[in-house]
Amino acid sequence: MSGSLLLLPFLVRLDGRPHADWQQFLGRFHPLIVHVPIGLLVLVPLLEISGVFRPALREAAEFVLALAFISCLGALTLGFLLAYGSGDTGTGVTHHMWGGIALSITVLLCLLARPWWLLGNETRLYPATLAAMLLVLLWTAHQGGSLTHGNNYLTEYMPVSLKRWVALGNLQANTPGADTFYARHINPILDANCVACHGEGKVKGGLRMDSYELLMKGGKDGPVIVSGHPERSLLLERVTLPADHKQFMPAEGRPPLKPEEIAWLKAWVQQGASPTATTLKGIFIQENAKEAPLKPVGDYSGMMSEILQMESGQGAKLLPVSSKPSDGLILNTVDVAASFGDVQLAQFQKFSPYIVEAELGRTAVTNASFDTLSKFSHLRALHLEGTAVTGEGLMKLAPLSQLTYLNLSGTKVTAAAVAPLDSMKSLRHVYLYNTPAQPATAADSITQPIAKTAQ
Amino acid sequence: MKQHPLCTDTEQCLGVMDLAVPPELKREWAALQTRRHFLGRTGKVLGWAAMASLFGDRALRGDAHAPANGQPGTQAGEQLKLPHFAPKAKRAIYLFMSGGPSQVDLLDYKPNLAALYDKDIPDSVRGAQQLTGMTAGQARFPVAPSHWAFKRYGETGTWISDLLPYTARMVDDLAIIKSTNTEAINHEPAIMLMNTGNMNAGKPCLGSWLAYGLGSMNDNLPTFMVLQSKLNTKENNQPVSSRLWSSGFLSSEYAGVGLRAAGDPVLYLTDPNGVDREVRRNMLNAVNEINRQTFEELGDPETHARIAQYEMAYRMQISVPELADLSKEPQSTWDLYGPEAKEPGTFAYNCLMARRMAERGVRFTQVYKRGWDMHDNVTGILPIICQETDRGCYALVADLKQRGLLDDTLVVWAGEFGRTVYSQGGLTKDNYGRDHHPRCFTTWMTGGGVRTGVTYGETDDYSYNVVKDPVTVRDFNATILHCLGIDHNKLTYKFQGLDQKLTGPVPASVVPGLLA
Repeated sequence: MSGSLLLLPFLVRLDGRPHADWQQFLGRFHPLIVHVPIGLLVLVPLLEISGVFRPALREAAEFVLALAFISCLGALTLGFLLAYGSGDTGTGVTHHMWGGIALSITVLLCLLARPWWLLGNETRLYPATLAAMLLVLLWTAHQGGSLTHGNNYLTEYMPVSLKRWVALGNLQANTPGADTFYARHINPILDANCVACHGEGKVKGGLRMDSYELLMKGGKDGPVIVSGHPERSLLLERVTLPADHKQFMPAEGRPPLKPEEIAWLKAWVQQGASPTATTLKGIFIQENAKEAPLKPVGDYSGMMSEILQMESGQGAKLLPVSSKPSDGLILNTVDVAASFGDVQLAQFQKFSPYIVEAELGRTAVTNASFDTLSKFSHLRALHLEGTAVTGEGLMKLAPLSQLTYLNLSGTKVTAAAVAPLDSMKSLRHVYLYNTPAQPATAADSITQPIAKTAQ
Repeated sequence: MKQHPLCTDTEQCLGVMDLAVPPELKREWAALQTRRHFLGRTGKVLGWAAMASLFGDRALRGDAHAPANGQPGTQAGEQLKLPHFAPKAKRAIYLFMSGGPSQVDLLDYKPNLAALYDKDIPDSVRGAQQLTGMTAGQARFPVAPSHWAFKRYGETGTWISDLLPYTARMVDDLAIIKSTNTEAINHEPAIMLMNTGNMNAGKPCLGSWLAYGLGSMNDNLPTFMVLQSKLNTKENNQPVSSRLWSSGFLSSEYAGVGLRAAGDPVLYLTDPNGVDREVRRNMLNAVNEINRQTFEELGDPETHARIAQYEMAYRMQISVPELADLSKEPQSTWDLYGPEAKEPGTFAYNCLMARRMAERGVRFTQVYKRGWDMHDNVTGILPIICQETDRGCYALVADLKQRGLLDDTLVVWAGEFGRTVYSQGGLTKDNYGRDHHPRCFTTWMTGGGVRTGVTYGETDDYSYNVVKDPVTVRDFNATILHCLGIDHNKLTYKFQGLDQKLTGPVPASVVPGLLA
């Protein structure tokens, strides 16, 4: 019997083509029926254990196990009908299929080993098989769940710290050539809406959309994207059908694509569906949410005594950004500004992995501090207003990839000294008020408001 | 028997404290020995318990962190686990327009009103609202359209009255809230509600909650400062009292410190003749020692607050003159704020001071401008007060922006309520009066954490009722706290058996539409 189960996949090959409708009709009961054996199988060990106290329960276990085996075969058959009938393929589908077969076999083995165990001939085989059966069940059920809900369903909302702990790979989205329009905007749309059924795990209609090459290759009905012709591209046709249309995508009641997502897809196809283009004409996407991810700051709680010692010796303070240590510390020098110079700053270097903001306004630091500051790798905001810095050595800050705010107001920096700052991509707020680079002039005096549109 | 350091009396006698009884009995005796302390403490027992745990935390942290002079540190935020999340704004400046600015004449444009001049507002609009005693007896409620024209400004095309030419220049930086509304119709309860979240006196104000929750960013200036603007006697000036910057049941360390509008910013801050700084220091050391002994005997945390305040005043002898010394301001400052900013106590001067305080690590500055209460002669008075305040508001925001401070400073402009669209007293083509109006008034915010270039909420055609996105005083305050990294439901203090909070017991919500 086990043999015939093992041969099943070879007798009925999943060829990736849809077959008779009745097969799919019955097959779609698989996700429903499959819960019957799951429930029964979980019940078996419970009955066996509680049988120690109430022998009647152990008697029932035999019956439940037999019932579970029969329902297992039923679910397996329906599963085959579903996969064969709908033409689903992919590693997820095959894994789930083999899991189902292995499960049926272990259940059968349990059924055979149990009488020996009751007679006391072989005391370990049955419990071991039962345990193996539960493991196979768990794995198979997980494969099935991933097929219906998508691969990252369980982990999507897992706390980041936990994710890091279990070292789930690709924390950074797998975006090859991350600066292209495809990588930044098209791939994420497909990932979120399509890849659950058209990806590595499940390949509906022979179409995979989890990489650019596979997307362009198309499915069993040919290419889904015709470069330059959104109106002839199957992908766009399907996602723009009325939502109740049989062929509408995303299928099975999943939420439709947002209008702007469709607009981006359309523009991308229209302008050649290029894998390398970085921008598209007429499409401007506000990318606030896509800022480079902030480097996590380590937990400084363990260094509190050192920090306190430094504070009391120095007068400058390290204030927490928030109650979460991972938000980092602010170096606050306002009380000792006049005496806080390059030497004092250098003493704080050992805390630099935790310092996200350095308030050095009106302190005695000079150009010499740029060397020290270049090692404050987590710095997001740097205040140097009213200091003696002149901009010489300013570009030593270039390695600070997190720096978004730089205040140089009231210093002697010149336009030439600050010009290279343009190359620092993260830097979005640079203040140069009242410097040679941007002199404070009487232009600030306002006499007449300007009405843009008169009434 | 312990002797005070300044006491030369050597009389000896045995007191309870000298007897061989357990220390806790001595403490109890000390606490009960005066009726005043007994009465004082029974009322405060809950707050006292909370304070005790606060000081307990400090003790656990060791002396290393207490400032050099030994009084407890003011970094309450660390003990309270605040901010709750990384804030967009580290500090805030609140421009309080006391008296109730007229939204109809300034920011809430209603073009249809012109056609309704002198027509009674429909009963359906006014509903069953109870009016103030000043207009409840009026036979008619005739619509008084604004005397001034409005124009559109900025990329956002926001309508602003001709009275506010400077505010008009920064509309793209503001979040204008047309749907602010309050429950109070008279000045005192309304202004208390805005500032403390409760119409009755006794609750801590916004600034005190911030000082308590977030602590100080500098040791030499108070965490919370209050600037009053000079009175203009042409205007109807409603009183503004220190209740508005009171710390209520929180330690008085967290109360606002006011700077005077004229003369010395802080009275008696300079040492008298013959007393130099060293003598002052010696005297303070002795006073602190006496206070410390009192604290050991009575355990009243207010004693610590007193010590902290003496020390703060001592440091302010240096820091305030520096703060108020405007001689190093570049000419561009005067070009921006206008010449009246040179005169201490003007609104423009206070705006400039608010910027200087922001630079020096003051957490919360509140500038009060009185005189917005216009029951009659709106056309006579409103241009005067707008002229006094409009440029200062703009200059402050523009100055913070050019200096890179607006990124982490929240600026709020608000009064305690709005004014009626109907005229109080006689309505003529040239003049009218406006009564208090709680159902809608217009406020604005800008800076750290605030979405810029938005107009939030809508009022009906009469600027009478909110028809879309109402913002209650609770929501308004919850939003301010949010910008500063505080969850308004979590910043609480046990008092009178309740977890007291700024937004009170009625649910409040942060307004997401106002957030960046």
